[in-house]
Amino acid sequence: MIRMQHDDAAAVQQARDGNEEAFRVLVERHSRGVYGLAFRMTGRAEDAEDVVQETFIRAFRQLSRFEARSNFGTWLYRIGFNCAIDYMRSRPHRETPEEDATLEALGGPGSAPPADALVYAGEISERVQSALGGLSERERAAFVMRHYHGCSIEEIGATLDMKTNATKHSIFRAVRKMRAALAPLMARNAIE
Amino acid sequence: MSWHPSDDELILHFYGESAGMEQPIDAHLASCPSCQDAWTGLTHVLALVDGATVPEPDASFERVMWARVQPSLPSRRSRLSWLKVLVPLAAAAVLIVGAFVAGRTWSSRTSATAMTAASAELATAHERVLLTALNDHFERSEMLLVEVMNAPDAKHMDLTFARATASDLVASSRLYRQTTEQHGDTRLTALLEDLEAVLIEVAHSPAEVSAANLKDLRARITDDSLLFKVRAVANEIEQRQQHMSSVSEGTL
Repeated sequence: MIRMQHDDAAAVQQARDGNEEAFRVLVERHSRGVYGLAFRMTGRAEDAEDVVQETFIRAFRQLSRFEARSNFGTWLYRIGFNCAIDYMRSRPHRETPEEDATLEALGGPGSAPPADALVYAGEISERVQSALGGLSERERAAFVMRHYHGCSIEEIGATLDMKTNATKHSIFRAVRKMRAALAPLMARNAIE
Repeated sequence: MSWHPSDDELILHFYGESAGMEQPIDAHLASCPSCQDAWTGLTHVLALVDGATVPEPDASFERVMWARVQPSLPSRRSRLSWLKVLVPLAAAAVLIVGAFVAGRTWSSRTSATAMTAASAELATAHERVLLTALNDHFERSEMLLVEVMNAPDAKHMDLTFARATASDLVASSRLYRQTTEQHGDTRLTALLEDLEAVLIEVAHSPAEVSAANLKDLRARITDDSLLFKVRAVANEIEQRQQHMSSVSEGTL
């Protein structure tokens, strides 16, 4: 990890000096990681790819602001989360009604398909992704950063430009909504 | 047993963010069946969330992504063409804000100027024009914030007009902020930074914003006391304009 950070810092420096090949190395090294967060944020592979692309373009423009002692991955992820939020805001009409309908369908009594018709792991992923889709952009970003990326409340607040209390409340709301959306699946697990 | 950790406290505890409360919560959970149930429910649902996987992109993903990113990187040529546009704009912004910032300094240092009467008159005329522009920027920003704060509580709010205004204000705000930063005016820089963030949020919002998103936006404006600060600076500019007018009338 330390070696990668060192390599990243060197590549950033070279990219700043106009070495495009160095930036290509950074794109190839981190694009899969950024894709993971982008997918959790947008819920669609093609949208996630757009977010990854935009993240690296923004990162390139902001390279001069990157501080050498920082972790490039962390810095890039922050840009990625903000890109994802901007992206979702620019396409709210496509997402929201579908998400609401999906959540209602998932949460409603008797909505679970028969157990033998399910591929369980895939179903969990789908339901969790649908539940994430029911969160506001900020709740989703705060939750994904905290839950999947282990970011501290302070880091999340700094990335999303929110105060500590607002950050905490975004996470609280997100957890409650996730719990409500996943309740049918939990109930079925308990029966089985 | 009168104290029970709240749902929020349990969530923070799960994420290791309950500083100083770890031991009391653990001890309580060991002895309280109802809180134990709540804790188990929470940990199970969050474990379920862990089980959600991201579909792995195919092996060519990195190569394809570079192919998409590379042509979009701003080239030296395009950066130069942008500079052609930005330099005059930046120069205008430097003049506008520079005059305001300098004016704030001058006002506390009476008659210490060594300027000639002619150049002083010219500088005053410049400053008057420039203050008017800056005042206009803050006034428009204030009107926009008021519009957002006073929008009726409907399921969806039409922000079409606000979005267009915000987009317009973002560019000028950014230039003013860069200039105040260069002049070392931290207060004005911080205000313009906060204002810019909200303007960007409004500019990027959908034409019809949901009640929840509008609430978030309002909370941000309120949390930062943004409206108050904008009004305060607008007042300061107005006072400076009035001061200039009265000085000018006195000399006639």
